[in-house]
Amino acid sequence: MTPIKPFLCVALLALAGGAHAHDGMSGMAMGHEAPLGFDAAMDAQGHLWVVDTVGEHVRARRSDDMGRSFATSTIVNPVGEPLYAEGENRPKIALGPNGELYVSWSQPRKLPWTGFVRFSRSLDGGAHFDEPKTVHRDTAEITHRFDSLAVDGKGDVVIAWIDKRDLEAAKAKGKPYLGAATYYTWSTDRGAAFAPERKIVDQSCECCRIALARAPDGRIDAFFRAIYGDNIRDHAYAALPVGDGTPNVQRATFTQWHIEGCPHHGPSLAIDGSGVRHAVWFSAAGGNASIWYGQLQPGREPAHLAKVAGAGASHADLVADGKRVWVAYHQVSAKGLDLMLRESNDGGDTFGEPRAIAHTSDASGWPKLVLWQHRAFVAWNPNGQFRLVPTEAL
Amino acid sequence: MQRFAIVCACALSLAAAMPAFAGAPQALGTDDVAALLAVPAKGARLVAIWSLDCAYCEQNLSSLRAYQRNHADVDLVFVATDPLSQSTALEARLKAAKLDDVPSRAYAESTPDRLNFLIDPAWGGETPRTLVIKADGTRRAYSGALDVSHVEKLLR
Repeated sequence: MTPIKPFLCVALLALAGGAHAHDGMSGMAMGHEAPLGFDAAMDAQGHLWVVDTVGEHVRARRSDDMGRSFATSTIVNPVGEPLYAEGENRPKIALGPNGELYVSWSQPRKLPWTGFVRFSRSLDGGAHFDEPKTVHRDTAEITHRFDSLAVDGKGDVVIAWIDKRDLEAAKAKGKPYLGAATYYTWSTDRGAAFAPERKIVDQSCECCRIALARAPDGRIDAFFRAIYGDNIRDHAYAALPVGDGTPNVQRATFTQWHIEGCPHHGPSLAIDGSGVRHAVWFSAAGGNASIWYGQLQPGREPAHLAKVAGAGASHADLVADGKRVWVAYHQVSAKGLDLMLRESNDGGDTFGEPRAIAHTSDASGWPKLVLWQHRAFVAWNPNGQFRLVPTEAL
Repeated sequence: MQRFAIVCACALSLAAAMPAFAGAPQALGTDDVAALLAVPAKGARLVAIWSLDCAYCEQNLSSLRAYQRNHADVDLVFVATDPLSQSTALEARLKAAKLDDVPSRAYAESTPDRLNFLIDPAWGGETPRTLVIKADGTRRAYSGALDVSHVEKLLR
């Protein structure tokens, strides 16, 4: 019998290990099972388009009743692949002027912090999507992640992302390099092909989403977290030329937040018809975690700087329509998550008091504001249940 | 039966000898936060918050571990804001960095805002984040990568 003892020991330990793993599974079940990252956009006919992920698949759905139900659901990538699907790194959707649906996402590679920016399009109203492609020429197994997607006034597609090729080159030469670079590319043929990528700027932040918005002249402008001096993580602003030209990058926020780390907190940008650049961003300068609103004046301090929210507030989005500006954000407390709204009726000069427009005791993907017939709605998916929350006060 | 009891005792004693934190990170849910932040009986507890997507975090964890090696009254725990479903990746990352000998937790929820708030209401979710809880009940927090000299300053 003696020889059996070690075997039994191992078997019992294996059982103990199994119980341990089961505890872990119970822990997981406390949260939701699927990632919550999503994006939403409203087309000219009032159809709401939502992209999110199901396992290794990006899903595009259309709602004809303001998000109450989905009339269509199409898998963008029938051949599954790893996906970044949470937080700042989630799938995106943008709509072309002739019914085109453009979708982008970041695909994790094997090594930590690596990824490729992927793109697919549908030219038949979402019935089918083209085989996904990688939009950058560089195929090094490094970061090309945190993609952002927009369509300019001519219908050209612009994609910007965070890219570590220059960091790797500097490391190889033993030269210092903070953060990562920001790159972009464009397509002038409805997403059939993309131009060779172009650098926007070196030494920008490596873990925050890039805000893209269309200016009145039709161009796409970018607003993103950059690095100034010794890890001061403020924001830069640049118009992204399609074709010839180079981005003129200027500092646009001056909070002086120093952090040798990852804020995981990108800004949002909306440019109104008169060219006012409304923006919201996060800073924890001086240890005070805050969301700020301002009207960007690249090269100098933003105008109408205002603190939107303090501790526990995160992931603000905004839209503008004429003189109206809406800011939506998460406000967390011990009771759960409130979806908050602040509204301006004077072009962002002043904002009304914060209002909670929805609540969940679960988690949700980041709020996304959409406009329909001069009304603002917040796309939200607490516990994976998609909703379009009206912003009007009751 | 007697033999079986001996075998059981052998298995249990072996299991007890294994550190409870070895291997995969343990789930950290909202009900676990109070224990995580409990004031230590002596010295200080360092709660080192990190994430897979944070390129500065391993450097911070290494500095804190190095400090702890020379300070027996310092308790250290790693908390990943990634969901427990990333357990394999978290464990592999810590092992590769030779940091797998420290108690390790991972968020039980995949969108971490609420847990972030319960752990530290003044924190915006940036990483790395280091909390220092001293035996006298005082607390300090710091965002960003620390080197050992910075850790010493933070613990003064």
